[in-house]
Amino acid sequence: MKAKQKLVDEQRMSTSSDNAPPIATRVIGVSKRFGKTGVLENISLDVAEGEILVLLGASGSGKTTILRIIAGLEQPNTGKIILHGRDVTELPARERGVGVIFQSYALFPKMTVEKNIGYGLRIRHRRRKEIRKTVNELLSLVQLEEHRKKYPSQLSGGQQQRVAIARTLAYKPEVLLFDEPFGALDTQTRTHLRREIRALLRRVNVPSVFITHDQEEALELGDRVAVVNKGHIEQIGTPYEIYNHPATEYVATFLGAANILEAVVQDGFVETECAKIPAELDPNVYRTGDRIKIIFRPEDVLLSRTDFLKPGHFKLAPARVEEVSFVGAYERLRVRLEQPGEDCTNGETPYYLTTETPDRRPRSIIATRPKPEASASSLKIGDRVIVAVTSFTVIRSS
Amino acid sequence: MSTVVPTMRHVRGFDVVRPLSIGMLVFMMMPLVFLPLASIFIFGTSNGLDKFWAALMAPEAIFALKLSMATSFWATVFNVLFGLFAAYVLSRYNFWGRNALIVTISLPTAIPTAVAGFALLLLWGPYGTLGRFLTPHGFQIMFTAGAIILANIFVTFPLAFGVIKPVFDTMSRSLEEASATIGATRWQTFWHVTLPSLRGAIVSGALLTFARAVGEFGSTILVSGNLAGRTQTAPLYIFAKFNEGQIEAANAIAIVLALFSFLIFSVLFFARDWLDVD
Repeated sequence: MKAKQKLVDEQRMSTSSDNAPPIATRVIGVSKRFGKTGVLENISLDVAEGEILVLLGASGSGKTTILRIIAGLEQPNTGKIILHGRDVTELPARERGVGVIFQSYALFPKMTVEKNIGYGLRIRHRRRKEIRKTVNELLSLVQLEEHRKKYPSQLSGGQQQRVAIARTLAYKPEVLLFDEPFGALDTQTRTHLRREIRALLRRVNVPSVFITHDQEEALELGDRVAVVNKGHIEQIGTPYEIYNHPATEYVATFLGAANILEAVVQDGFVETECAKIPAELDPNVYRTGDRIKIIFRPEDVLLSRTDFLKPGHFKLAPARVEEVSFVGAYERLRVRLEQPGEDCTNGETPYYLTTETPDRRPRSIIATRPKPEASASSLKIGDRVIVAVTSFTVIRSS
Repeated sequence: MSTVVPTMRHVRGFDVVRPLSIGMLVFMMMPLVFLPLASIFIFGTSNGLDKFWAALMAPEAIFALKLSMATSFWATVFNVLFGLFAAYVLSRYNFWGRNALIVTISLPTAIPTAVAGFALLLLWGPYGTLGRFLTPHGFQIMFTAGAIILANIFVTFPLAFGVIKPVFDTMSRSLEEASATIGATRWQTFWHVTLPSLRGAIVSGALLTFARAVGEFGSTILVSGNLAGRTQTAPLYIFAKFNEGQIEAANAIAIVLALFSFLIFSVLFFARDWLDVD
């Protein structure tokens, strides 16, 4: 597991290095409207050679439309699609040479597995011998040799999906486009399949665009993830960047649980609640007095019974435990921050509270604790704790 | 579980309603369907199979059967191709007047066949809207086999369309989209992907059309002229022989037509799995 993680990290390093691989697919300033409703607004993104880019977004965010525009199944109102340097915006789907793996797989029901895989070559009038050779290679690549004579309806969901991938690989597509490929599968198969497909894509080294609404899937599959919301891209970055340094509140909350607190910049510090936390903020972007939000994950929260904190832990506020639940691998707690001012040790009212009407939001913080920690110091509902954070991200308050 | 209260309908796990309702169904169908059909066979063979065979082999009888088959065949060919085309256009494109077209295509089922035949006469007949201009040039389609085909086409118009269109409607668009992204032209997609999925619908649409066309009477008698040995189809033959009092001759053909429809519906019923094989 660790070795695998290291390998993945190395790959991530290599994609962000200076001699980055050439760009395979470019989407430049694409906008799309259906009738009067705008679906996409000025979308631009690049997919590097051999890279897996995941488009992550809620349903109706427009992510599927991006995919369909790249595939040529939909025409953009403005913008361009470039595949390996060739402007294909005006080309119909069949002349683009992209491979689409549909959510339903869209295997041809009246063709056997090998006929499905050979279809792309048959319609290109390749020689029978060549077709047979390619089909055999692909069957062994996706490990379906013994199913070659079966019809799609006789295969499991995972097998059908592998046929769908092999069918597109047969004609050497410029880019592979996956439209929610795991949507119809149960959780276990899904996890298994996405590892399998990731490994497969590494082997064939075809640039790929995945569409999903599942954040875990996006983080695990993608070399980079683009978070799509209401027709625009909120942020593109490595899974690490997206998760740990979300650029917007939407990204933060869409990628799992996030705690968000309002704060104010104060020369090298951020002030929130009663706390003053040192923060290295770009002075060209954030100035003293700027209203900001700090975002931190439940696993970045530390609950302690005493005021004594290790270096690198920043005290936030005292709180009471409101809810304790056990969620398998970890313990999940909800604590309610005490009213600021009540217990501020320096006696001063925090800056932002003086300029704002009393905060009426539920002042809940979600924290998670790994099992060893949870059993070492158990917490019950009503316990008083000190809330601290280990790391956080700052975004501008809108 | 609460205690099971025995009721009249369930006597020790035996459902009384079951045999009663099945028996009632069969009893009701007896005078309505089974007995009339059975009497064709009983009556037709009551004078011995020799007589039956002789009646069947009469030249006019054979001609009538052949004419029925031939005219029905061509009407079926036309209507299946047309139904396929119409279903494709009407399920793939949305345009102004689309629903009006769908209703118009389906209309012939609701029109009495005699009205259909009459309408054709009024168009193509010697004094018809078009016919009056064509007849002087030696073109007269009425009272020929062509007229029978036209009548058959008219009355079976929506049958194949009606079977094929729902399949088009429910067919996942992604199959055709997949084919396009793989690199197929529209024609290749239609031939390799769309058509195979329609096989079942085409076969059953064709059988329905054919069965209906073979039995067509009302419109045929108006447009064909009912000339024995020239434009007399099998149902017209039955009617003519019956009027002449030649019950046996009429009966022989009736048996053939009845058997023929049995055959077609057996195929439709029992080949369903094969037709819809995925």
